[in-house]
This record gives sequence, C-alpha cells and structure tokens, in this order.
Amino acid sequence: MTKEAPDEFTRWTKEKWGSSQLPMGGTVPYHTAYGYKTGDRSAFKAITDKEKCISCMNCYYYCPDSAIIMNDDLKAKCDMVFCKGCGICSKHCPADAIEMRRVTR
Amino acid sequence: MSGVRQVVGMTGDEAVAHAAKLVNPDVVAAYPITPQTIIVERYSDFVNNGEVDTSFISVESEHSAMSACVGASLTGARVFTATASAGLALMYEILYVASGLRCPIVLAVANRAFSAPINIHGECTDQLVCRDASWVSLFGESAQEAYDETILSFKIAEHPDVMLPAMFGIEGFIVTHALERVETLSKQQVEDFIPASRIVRDRFSPDENKTFGSLVLQDYYMEIKRQQEEAMQNAYKVTKDAMQEFSEMSGRKMEIIEKYHLEDAEYAFVSYGATAGNAKAVVDRLRAKGEKVGALKIRLFRPFPSLDIFQALSGIKAAIILDRSVTFGSPGTIVQTDIASALYGKENVPSLHGYINGLGGRVLTLPEIEEVYEMSKEYNNIGMTSTTDWVGYRK
Repeated sequence: MTKEAPDEFTRWTKEKWGSSQLPMGGTVPYHTAYGYKTGDRSAFKAITDKEKCISCMNCYYYCPDSAIIMNDDLKAKCDMVFCKGCGICSKHCPADAIEMRRVTR
Repeated sequence: MSGVRQVVGMTGDEAVAHAAKLVNPDVVAAYPITPQTIIVERYSDFVNNGEVDTSFISVESEHSAMSACVGASLTGARVFTATASAGLALMYEILYVASGLRCPIVLAVANRAFSAPINIHGECTDQLVCRDASWVSLFGESAQEAYDETILSFKIAEHPDVMLPAMFGIEGFIVTHALERVETLSKQQVEDFIPASRIVRDRFSPDENKTFGSLVLQDYYMEIKRQQEEAMQNAYKVTKDAMQEFSEMSGRKMEIIEKYHLEDAEYAFVSYGATAGNAKAVVDRLRAKGEKVGALKIRLFRPFPSLDIFQALSGIKAAIILDRSVTFGSPGTIVQTDIASALYGKENVPSLHGYINGLGGRVLTLPEIEEVYEMSKEYNNIGMTSTTDWVGYRK
C-alpha cells in the first residue's frame, strides 16, 4: 500500500490542472487515504503537553480519525495533517494534557 | 463495396438484433420492455445458439441493466443494451454515470410514450428528454436505418476523441414491429468498420491501480464536465466522418441531416424518425400540385447539427416542424426550440411552425400533414413567424 499519493496526483492537485490535462472521466491514480491532506481545514488544533501526559492512550483510541500518534517515549502527539479539530481527545484526557487552540489563518 | 447485397425482410427490432450480432459485443445487459422486447429476445437466441461470444446478463430492472453496462464498459468491454419509455426513465440516473465515466455503451431505444395513461406505442419524448445526459443521440426512420445505426453507434461512441455513450431511437411498433426490406452487411464488413482491437482508456482491472467514480467536488467537477462537452463537440465531426465511411462501405447514403427537394423549396418539413417518411410522401404529393416544398430529416439529435440545419433552411420561407413528442409549457416543441436557438440572430432564416403530433402512436395521416402545410402557409401570410400547435387530436 502506497502511503504517499502518486506523483501525478500530487502534481495535479498542487498545480490545479484543467480539463485538458486531467485524466478522462475523473479517474484517479490509486492511493490510500494517506495521500489526502485533510487536516488543513480544521478550526482547532490539539496541543499536547508532554509533561502532563500519563500515556494512558485514551486519546489514541478515542480519536475518530487516527490522528494521534504515540511517540517512542509513549507520549501523545497530534498529527495536524489529519486532525479535524473535533476536541474528543481533549475531553477524554484524564490528565488534562490536551488543549484545543483556535487556528488563526 | 464488396459482394452482392443480401436483402432480408426484418422488423426494426430484428434488424437491431441482427446488426448487434455482427458487432458481437462482449456484454449485453438488458431488461425486456415493449416494444423493445424482440431486440433482447432475438439476441438471447443468438447467445443461446452460440452464434455470438457475448456474456448476457439478465437483470431485474433497467436501472440495474445500465449499471451492469457501466461496470462492464469500464473494464474495456464492448457493451450493448436496449430499452424503451419507462425503462429509459428508470435508467436516467445511470445515463449520467455512463457518460460521466466515459463509457462507450450503445443503447437502442424503441421510442414509446410515457405513462400515465399507460401506452405502449410510438412517441419520441422518452429519448428527447435525455438530451442533456451527454449521450450521442440518433434517430432512424426505418428498419434499414435501425440496422445501420446499430453498427454506426459503436463507431462513434468508441472513437478515442469521443468516448461517450450513444443511443439511437426507432419508433415503437411503427418501426420496431413493421416488417421491412433490409439490406444486410457481411460479418467481414462490420469487422473492418469497427475493429475488435480498439483504443481503450484506463481500464478497471486487477492489474491496474486506479480509482473510478471517485468523489469530485467544487474544485474539479466543472473540469470533468467540460471534458464531456469537448467530447460531445468532437462527436459531431466523428459522426460526420463515420457516416461518410459507412456510406462508402454499404453503398447507402447516410448523412447527419437528409435533404429532400430542398434546393428550390419555399417551405420545408422538418422531422425525424418515422415521421420523415410521411413528410417526404407529402412533399411528393404537394410537388405534383406545383407547390415548392421540401423536407429535412434530422438523424443526429445530439450533438445538435446547428450549422447544417441553418445552411439547409437558409433562404426558406417557413420550416414546418413535425415533432412526435410532447413538452408542456415550453416555448415550442422540443426540436423546434433547438432549431430556434440554432437560427437565432442569423440572417435569412425561416419562420418556425412547430406541431406536436402523433402522441401515443396516434397516426398523422398524409392529408393531415397537407392541412398542416396549408395552416403554416396561412400563418406566414399573416406575418406570424413562430407558432406551436397540437395537431391530430379531437377538441
């Protein structure tokens, strides 16, 4: 399974290809959801506090989008490429280690 | 041209089935509906007798039939199906999927009136209302034209510049069930005309990793639709060339629009499908009386041959449009509004008199068409340049 989007796909999304360049009938080169950067529209960002984290992994299991990554030191970290900013992790954190901060663009 | 022409007596439906047999599509998925049934019935005989290599998929509805056709077509298979009226209406959703995914499916339509009240007879509304579905749309006048258009449709649809589905219509019972003289082609001729090896685009296959039918939102949807419009514009030239090639191969003249005594005509009947035959007969009768009248038959409805129609009707006093279809609350008949759009703003154009006629298989007789002609002349004499009437019904 390719984690990254194929070059062709990355190019036409970045370069915003037009009707004369795009493949016929909306046929897309195969890749998994890893190819889509879906977190760029979230309104909140989950900021984790490494000091407060007790490695209970509640956030990891509750995250609906698998956006929590457990580091090698078993401290939670949020992957902003996929995080939609729902705040569920923050609600379920018993150590109050996750703060939802509004993203300003 | 090769060999001696073989002439066979066939109904319109049988002609379509026999032509499809020569094409030998890989997949046929169809559901029976009067008056299309015989096409599928005959074709299933051919499958049963091993005369074709087709996988015949029996489905539970037309919605499923067209869905199966889309799936089959995406794998690169050559696909054929047939339907009518309510069946076409049930397919309507998938018609857009077929054209959007650029599946060159060929669909034979036995034009039949819509319910209610339920009616099984000829009327072209079912096919005409599919005009926006991005399907190439043709009409045939006779069993012969049904035979020819079956083969021609594959040529147009599968052209790499087009890659759009194509439908062609013959009127229910009037053409589908009438026994007529049909000049057939040989298997070799058809194979040369539409070779089995054809350019296919990305194929749905276990060997290729592609996503088909993905979600496309505001950011790319318009681009994909624009591709369809360009393909449709290409289809105009492709159809012209294919008809030219077909004429040379078969020895039968085939054109996007057929002109009949139009050179010195002051008035012209414009029609499509079986009505065109009656219009031509009336032209003969009126010409014998010294009237300067001609007829124009539209064979290609989508892409609409605007320029050809403008050139053919240029300089004529009035075009009398005989439309065997119905639209309610519209500024004109379906074909009339298209012609009006094609002619608008141009110099030297005729006035347009549209007549909704022949609904639900009602016959518009030759004397009635002559009356329509007199009525149109009257309109013109009092300076009315655009009228729409219903004819052939009891008040």
